[in-house]
Amino acid sequence: MRRFLLKRVASALITLWLLATIVFLIVNVLPGDVGRKILGPFAPKEEVAAFNHRLGTDRPLLAQYFTSIRRVFTLDFGNSFQSGQDVKSIIFSALFRSGKLALLAFVITIPISIAAGIFAARRQDKLADRVVVNVGLASSSIPEFVTAAVLLSIFCVHWKLGKVFANPPPGTSVIGQLEYLLVPAMAMVIAYFGYIARMTRAGVIGALQSDYARTATMKGLSDNQVMRRHILRNALGPTITVISVQIGYLFGGIIGVEKVFNYAGLGSTMLTAVGAKDIPVLQGAVLLVGIVYMLSTLAADLLIAYLNPRVRLETAR
Amino acid sequence: MNFSRLNQARRGVGPLENELIDDYVAGSISRRTFVTRGSVLGLGVAFMGTIIAACGSDKAAAPAGTTAPGGTTAPGGTTPAGGTTAMTSKIKQGGTLRIASQKPGSPLDPVAMDNLGSYTPVTQSFEYLCGKGTAASLAPALAESWSPNADGSVWTFKLRKGVKWHDGKPFTAADVTATLDRLAGANLKAYIKAGSAKATDDATVEVTLNKPDGQFPYQVSLYNPQSLITPADYVVGTTLDKRPAGTGPFKLTKFDVATGATFEANADWWGGKPYLDKLEFIFSDDIATQISGLQGQAADAIVQFSVVGGDALLADPNITVESIRGAAHRQIWMNTREGTFMDVKVRQAIALGLDRQALIDTVLKGKGDLGNDHPVAPVYEYWDSKQPQRTRDVAKAKSLLKDAGKEGLKITMYAPKLQEIPQLAELVQTQLKEIGVEITLNIESTSTFYDEWCKTYDPICDGGKEFGIVDYGNRGTPDVYLVKAYTTGEWNSAHYKSDTFNAAVAKYQASLDTPSRATAMVDVQKIASEDVPYAIPYFYNSLTAHAKNVSGVVVSGLGHFECGKAGFTA
Repeated sequence: MRRFLLKRVASALITLWLLATIVFLIVNVLPGDVGRKILGPFAPKEEVAAFNHRLGTDRPLLAQYFTSIRRVFTLDFGNSFQSGQDVKSIIFSALFRSGKLALLAFVITIPISIAAGIFAARRQDKLADRVVVNVGLASSSIPEFVTAAVLLSIFCVHWKLGKVFANPPPGTSVIGQLEYLLVPAMAMVIAYFGYIARMTRAGVIGALQSDYARTATMKGLSDNQVMRRHILRNALGPTITVISVQIGYLFGGIIGVEKVFNYAGLGSTMLTAVGAKDIPVLQGAVLLVGIVYMLSTLAADLLIAYLNPRVRLETAR
Repeated sequence: MNFSRLNQARRGVGPLENELIDDYVAGSISRRTFVTRGSVLGLGVAFMGTIIAACGSDKAAAPAGTTAPGGTTAPGGTTPAGGTTAMTSKIKQGGTLRIASQKPGSPLDPVAMDNLGSYTPVTQSFEYLCGKGTAASLAPALAESWSPNADGSVWTFKLRKGVKWHDGKPFTAADVTATLDRLAGANLKAYIKAGSAKATDDATVEVTLNKPDGQFPYQVSLYNPQSLITPADYVVGTTLDKRPAGTGPFKLTKFDVATGATFEANADWWGGKPYLDKLEFIFSDDIATQISGLQGQAADAIVQFSVVGGDALLADPNITVESIRGAAHRQIWMNTREGTFMDVKVRQAIALGLDRQALIDTVLKGKGDLGNDHPVAPVYEYWDSKQPQRTRDVAKAKSLLKDAGKEGLKITMYAPKLQEIPQLAELVQTQLKEIGVEITLNIESTSTFYDEWCKTYDPICDGGKEFGIVDYGNRGTPDVYLVKAYTTGEWNSAHYKSDTFNAAVAKYQASLDTPSRATAMVDVQKIASEDVPYAIPYFYNSLTAHAKNVSGVVVSGLGHFECGKAGFTA
């Protein structure tokens, strides 16, 4: 297990370095001059040059590259070009907000969709199965920002049951925050429900048809016991992988939902940073999302290894 | 005409003011010009009312359209000076106003801030010497009154007494001179040097200008957003969130650039205790989101929106939309120095091909003023109402094109993807088709457009293209447009160069008395319109919106959203 962990951490560090390099390259390919972008089209040339000098964006690319790599490993991204605030505080508070929303969405999605998947698998090809499969397919094929916009106009603008702006004012209680986050979380639930439910269903159906499931049934275990002890352990592997990838995605990829609900999560922070060429913030945020991805994949691998001893043995060899 | 009252009134003022009064008495300027110009020269509302009454030209003693400056009136009694139309008669005490506003695009540094998103929160706490009056006029703010010397080279500002900073320290002339010294190295470089402003006593500041300027008060008013007065010991680069301070009606209590800001009322404000207890800013870069927020009652007001994408609000019965006339406009530039548009006939043909009213009706839903191919907007005091309005004349446009040998002209038009500009470009394309000009549109993102523009082709901002559309924001006077776009400036996309025009602008800027400024301005408008380096189809209004029960907000169209006298009616 230790070797397994070490291997994973080493590969994570390499991934981090690659990620930092890619971010740096992308940022420097973006057209436009940083100082000009921030000071606006009408700022005098000298001011733009002075500003670039202050930011260090007039230094040779290689020097800028080393600075940016050093920043990744010290987690010190400097100050935002745009607001002058410390990048760490910007991205960590954005991460915290994204985390809250993602957690809420997951707490709702996972039990519902796994239960629905198992339910459908047990009734394979019957009406209930068809309903779950088709509803799931339909819901996950609508882009989440469309769902978000529809939910917003129905629940928040028309019925005023939720909040249009999802950022809870400072000092809102945990329960109070639910009122702000529930509708955006629903948009995410709708997007992921179908995906996770179908993955679960497919895994469970595969396991139900396996020899070990038949043996377990034949030796006299009840359906529920077979499901819990034999089927789910084997069937949930792919589902957990999917979920873990989605966690990373939920932290940085739900720009659409964040945008619609004006939620200051990591996604919209990155979007704003791209628009403003705010390189430190962009770098910090992208790397943070990368770290979240890696941690969630790592967690998933560990969980799968725990559920399925074969995985542990394979990596240990 | 009541001469004894007139003469009595005249005694206390200087030569520039008396010339203005002469012009008004002689009937050579309108009452509106008198009031606007008077406000710049620092004449009080009551004083101007006396003059107007003495001239007997009006029934009312107070100039209509002018209201008492916000600070000196009893709360609830009058409409605050400025852009709002809402009545403040039944405002109740208390409440939190939730304002959806653009995310600050720069730190909250009063001297270096450069975008509307930053102006809005910063101006809740910090204030100007001169505030906003009606239309383009000025009203007292931290300066209670001001006056020039005989040639307009020295301006004396009498400061409001009893004003306190948020930390309880008194506001004095030392704060103003220190602020002006800081601005001398930045925003006011062209007007003053460090040390130009001297405190003659605790409440009087004398500012000696680099050269005479009859319009200087505009530079220390909200029309120059960075001229906010900050404490004497403020250091350049300090931001409002790092060091909350100010003399204004609201104190900053919390700021997070990602989400919003909170302000609480300053009970000691010189204008009286604000009605509102708190302001809550919700930052959002997305106008559609802000609009949903207002409609979904998650916000009570939106600082600024444009007709494009904002139609929903115009039709919403629960929402009041304020439309503030201003000088913001779009210029359709045509390179006058080389290429297709060298011949003035071609430029005139383009201008004649435009159906301006249709553009306003379609693109702006009627929220704008007709443009006459010069940047002097109808809100300005020197706007020449006698100049004939250019209207669409397809036949004449065609014959001009024929004369110039440009029949069947094909040309590419460059424009940024900004607010209504893409729609404007499409309509221009359609309208000019009828005069036989075929336009290919090239619409680019604002970043590409401006990066191209001002970086590669510095100092002439045209991106190397001969035909395109560019945007200009609202200003208190047309000087910026006249100098930067038309004369020697760095935004002269049309490469326009006219000695007669430059002379007219120079004359306008140098003259201190109203009639010669006005005469010079008539020439400016005439020459610009005849030469048409830029076709200017309209001046668009700034739009702001709030819930029906919100009242008393003063807006400038420049990102200011003054809430000192605002509140809820029910």
